[in-house]
Amino acid sequence: MVARPLRRLSPGWILVAPFLALVLTLFLGPIINVLWLSITDPEPGLGNYAALFAEESSLARIIWTTLRICILTTVISVLLGYSIAYAMVHVRDSSRSRMLALLLVSFWISVLVRTFSWLMLLGRNGLVNNSLEAVGLISQPIEFMRNELGVLIGMVHYMVPYAVLPLLASMQVIDTRVLSASRSLGATGGQTFWRIYLPLTKPGLIAAALLVFIISLGFYVTPAILGGGKVLMVAEYISVQLLVTLRWGTAAMLAALMLAGVLALLFVMSRFMKLSTIFGGART
Amino acid sequence: MHDKQFMRETVAEGAKAFKAGKMDRRSFLILCGMAGVATQAVMAGDAHAAANEIVMWNWGGQSEECHGNAIGKPFTEATGMPLKFDTSGPLQGKIKEMVDSGNVTADVCDADLFDAVALGPSGHLEAIDYDVVSKDKTLPDYALEHGVSIILYGYAFVYDTEAYGDTPPNSWADFFDTAKFPGKRSLYKWANGSLEAALMADGVAKDALYPLDMDRALAKIKAMKDDSLYWGSGSEAHSMVVNGEVSMGMVWQNRGKNIENDTDGRYKLVMNEALAMPGAYIVPKGNPAGREAIMKFIATAQEPDAQLQLLDCLGMTPSNPAAFAQIPEGQQPYAITSAMNIDKIAFNDPVWWGENGGDAVNAFLDAIS
Repeated sequence: MVARPLRRLSPGWILVAPFLALVLTLFLGPIINVLWLSITDPEPGLGNYAALFAEESSLARIIWTTLRICILTTVISVLLGYSIAYAMVHVRDSSRSRMLALLLVSFWISVLVRTFSWLMLLGRNGLVNNSLEAVGLISQPIEFMRNELGVLIGMVHYMVPYAVLPLLASMQVIDTRVLSASRSLGATGGQTFWRIYLPLTKPGLIAAALLVFIISLGFYVTPAILGGGKVLMVAEYISVQLLVTLRWGTAAMLAALMLAGVLALLFVMSRFMKLSTIFGGART
Repeated sequence: MHDKQFMRETVAEGAKAFKAGKMDRRSFLILCGMAGVATQAVMAGDAHAAANEIVMWNWGGQSEECHGNAIGKPFTEATGMPLKFDTSGPLQGKIKEMVDSGNVTADVCDADLFDAVALGPSGHLEAIDYDVVSKDKTLPDYALEHGVSIILYGYAFVYDTEAYGDTPPNSWADFFDTAKFPGKRSLYKWANGSLEAALMADGVAKDALYPLDMDRALAKIKAMKDDSLYWGSGSEAHSMVVNGEVSMGMVWQNRGKNIENDTDGRYKLVMNEALAMPGAYIVPKGNPAGREAIMKFIATAQEPDAQLQLLDCLGMTPSNPAAFAQIPEGQQPYAITSAMNIDKIAFNDPVWWGENGGDAVNAFLDAIS
């Protein structure tokens, strides 16, 4: 593109400006309000943030629970997603579209429906436990649900399609001749995968991991139901502080912290690579 | 200039149509978007347009039909004002947000009496007018400055008769005794009721619960944590029991009858030491219908007939002593204030909860997570 100094504001901007202003006001306004609330409610100062470092702070524990579950969910979802995407690019076209259809169907099912389906399937008197008991493999029901394991199962199931889609996109554009070249130069299948294929899919891997991790941070319904009340994650805690205990300062502080965390994550990633390639921007 | 004027008028017309129910919310928002006007600005200036109706903010489900028949019908007959519903659930935070925003769209909230203590002093609620509403038509401690109890609900528990049929549990002490009564338990996630149950199980007399000894209650809760699940909604409590996830479950007592029916009597309700909760009507400050109309509405809800209909329809127990003797026989085992139950009940202190509820909920969540 030829660099050309803009002497006058392009008329296009004037057309867009009202909507831009609207979006900015509607989007930034509430965010600033939340940040403001986090340092003014119940009293001005950094008291809400200091509470994070208080001794025996339940906040620190809730944040740790959230991070632990989100990291585990991300790792498992991306591993599963990678194998599914890998399989999808290597099967015949007809099978691929069938796999994609199945993936999208599960992608579109509401999170509540999925959550309750897991309860029916893996609950104490669920299909799996009842069958295992009937054939005598177990005498006590296995506790899949209403604990951290249940939350992980529910979250991974929800997040796998989010991991597959970016990975699939990045795998589909790989030039397979590179792999043939690697093999013809004497590399084994394993070496070709680890040294050629995996590095080529790195942008997809990072995109998938980021996407899964960030969405996982805000999970509310799944932990609340499958955790049996004992797995308290940040999103649910924020909702309780807003609606039940009226600690809006605490809620705003946690929201600000999550926002900052996500932005920091994106910033760190941007140091290593162009974010636009991750999110499917034009390849240059 | 004219354009601006035109836009403003268009939106104002739209707001009227929206309020009159002639335009759906989405079209109205699109209209506002096109006109470049924030909805709030139009709605706030025009909120009193809804002065000829009562909007009840409740929890949806059957309650819409039940409140409509029990209170709405007689009230509309007497005053000509229709009763409408907002079923999004008047949690404390939502009421506070609504009043703070200056855009009050509800006239009365079907809430808890402790909400009246928590939100009243900060100026979020209208005071109850006891010249219109009667203090004698509810229990003595349940007519407060900013809220009055209409119905009572409660925390009781159900147990699995197949597991404990021979020596059935009959108290919170039994509920917390997993050695004598092995099996899983379920409790309410947001502290209320669970704390009181733990204290009664630990030997505190039911009329000496308040102020709650938090350390003692939480120690009891923690001791049973590995065997406990916690529910956040009535339907979740119901399904934990009906699906056999727990062998004893704390439930809202008005669900007891449904659970007994749904499990063909396998699970049975225990009303001994149930904790009565005063459900209350509270009025957001600056309600659109005005204070006079809403006080009349609340007075209508105090009548024994209305309360007995709510009992029949929702299982909520009357708080008006004049209605106690009229509780039908089929409802007596499940009703809090029936002659057979009233002496076995512990009564919630809304003042303690209103003042200390936030800390109690957070301490409880910390203990169970």
